[in-house]
Amino acid sequence: MALIELRDLCKRYVIGGQEIMALNHIDLDVDAGELSAIIGPSGSGKSTLMHLLGCLDTPSSGSIKIDGTELSKASGDQLAEMRNRKIGFVFQSFNLLPRLNVVQNVELPMIYAAYSAKERRQRAEAAIERVGLESRMHNRPMQLSGGQCQRVAIARAIVNDPRIIFADEPTGNLDSTTGASILELFHELSDQGRTIMLVTHDPEIAAITPRCIEIKDGNIRRDYRNDQKTSTAAASP
Amino acid sequence: MNLWIGVQIGIKEIWAHKFRSFLTMLGVILGVASLQSMFALTAGIAKGMRENLEAVGGVERIGVEDKEVSEELLHIAEISPGITLDDAVAIRESASLISHISPEVNSGVRLQAGSVKSGARMEGIMPDFLVVDNHTVEHGRFITDLDVLRGERVAVLGHTLASQLFPGVPHSEVVGRTFAANQRAFTVVGILGLYESEREKRQRELLEQQRAKSGRSDEGRIEQHRRRRGTFARKNWSLLAPISTVQMEFKSVNMVGDVDQGPDKTLSNLQLRVRDVENFDEALAQVTTVLNHTHRGIDDFGFETREDWFDRINQSVASTRLSGGIIAAISLVVGGIGIANIMLASITERIREIGIRRAIGAKSRDIFLQIIVESVVTATIGGILGLFASAGMIHVLILLAPSENTPILEPMAMLISFSCAILIGIIAGLYPAFKASSLDPIQALRYE
Repeated sequence: MALIELRDLCKRYVIGGQEIMALNHIDLDVDAGELSAIIGPSGSGKSTLMHLLGCLDTPSSGSIKIDGTELSKASGDQLAEMRNRKIGFVFQSFNLLPRLNVVQNVELPMIYAAYSAKERRQRAEAAIERVGLESRMHNRPMQLSGGQCQRVAIARAIVNDPRIIFADEPTGNLDSTTGASILELFHELSDQGRTIMLVTHDPEIAAITPRCIEIKDGNIRRDYRNDQKTSTAAASP
Repeated sequence: MNLWIGVQIGIKEIWAHKFRSFLTMLGVILGVASLQSMFALTAGIAKGMRENLEAVGGVERIGVEDKEVSEELLHIAEISPGITLDDAVAIRESASLISHISPEVNSGVRLQAGSVKSGARMEGIMPDFLVVDNHTVEHGRFITDLDVLRGERVAVLGHTLASQLFPGVPHSEVVGRTFAANQRAFTVVGILGLYESEREKRQRELLEQQRAKSGRSDEGRIEQHRRRRGTFARKNWSLLAPISTVQMEFKSVNMVGDVDQGPDKTLSNLQLRVRDVENFDEALAQVTTVLNHTHRGIDDFGFETREDWFDRINQSVASTRLSGGIIAAISLVVGGIGIANIMLASITERIREIGIRRAIGAKSRDIFLQIIVESVVTATIGGILGLFASAGMIHVLILLAPSENTPILEPMAMLISFSCAILIGIIAGLYPAFKASSLDPIQALRYE
């Protein structure tokens, strides 16, 4: 069974009385352990897709199953719990809380789950070591470089040991060398068996992920694997 | 998210904006301080009023006094003997709801003890006077039934009078000494305690402190202070003797026309004490029945009671408390509005933070809780500071203006004002918390 199962998924917005079809009857399966990129120009619907996959939103119609849980009719609390337990987010603008230091930022997801203070500290420190920032444990985000901030964000995303990590343009605010090292980190995490989905508009990133899902105008245009170079047809024209 | 983490986040947030938080708290501080001061002021006023009431014998006391006879009985008013010792005897025999009866016969006398000469009003009394007039005996004993029975020439002196009559003699040694009242020798058998109101006590203590500081004996000023007419001047200057003695020695002749009627039985004063305030009206009815009989149906007597007085005290305290409470409540509400205002500004500032928290798994009730807790923490700290502020204010007030209405800090009032602050914190946080918790996570994350 696939970790993520989308069936006939639609998302409609009404903006100024006009209905916009952000996602148009999408079917998609992602298996556990895959590292894939969702690529598409802005306005293609890739952010909407990520919000749905990331349990930040619910679809207008269709079904979305993550780790066996049907989420199309989930309540706000259920979604929050999914985000907390099964999903980690990495954002383009890092989204760290400026008043908290590195450890406190990484601990943040755990205060919404039942961990003791000691456990929180241990897990946070382990996650920070994993991204190689143990020397910056007590610095504030302001005192870190962009690449270091993104590493803290990744540590925060993996600290609750989620099933899937979503990264929205994780290298968008970084120079190419730093960006490459962040991508390297994602590859390492993927090699350890984590499921990772990168959302990007950068074809270079898409070129080095094993799987690439191309989205345009609310449809999956192409879904191919880079190593095998096999592509499947889009779900709908 | 548990509450403790919420409190920690709240305190951190307040600490991060120290000055802003202090300004926000100021409203609550002033609100709590004014509520607290209002409670203390009314408690002080109530205490001062009750003290005055106690000074005249408390609620249980009834004074029997002469009254204008009604017009239809005026022509036969002479058949009533007036308020006499017989009334006291009759009430003692037949008014079961009265616990103490204190008849009084007064006579002005000239006093002499050694070289000291003075004038005073000698009160002829019975032992019940001790209870009815709220006296305490400091040295010696009080007038006894035996003294009354035998008409002994003994006297109990008020504290100030004893000092005046026997200057420089310790009060314990004044007992046993003699003095002359209208040339008749009286023996002092007891000295009463010194009665003073809170304010007089404080003034006396202040004076003694000054004296101790300057190191010189300032007996004169203390004496002068004692002479000053205070709330209890009448009691401190009292000169008490058995009622029979005063009647026999000073009022033994009662001429009606050319005939001597024997000792004058007319009382200067008749005070009663009710056994139980619950039965106040019944007791009054009993006494009325008895007196109607002894006065032969003439309604030439009336009662002076403290019940109205007592009710008035309670009423005025209640109304002061109400109006003061409303004013204080307004300032507390203003403090609450201040908190609500700042919380609204603060969540607008932190929309992105709220989005991040939602994205990593905070439920909307976690956000609600965080904002409410922050608001309550602000109000609580404000409340605590307010309690200290009011304590300081009241202390200054006491130092500046010692009076019998000194404000009193009551633990109950502190509890109430503090709970009000917390309540205000909760109410002020409700709307901002609701607003923050209903933000859409995606919108909040995108907010710049």
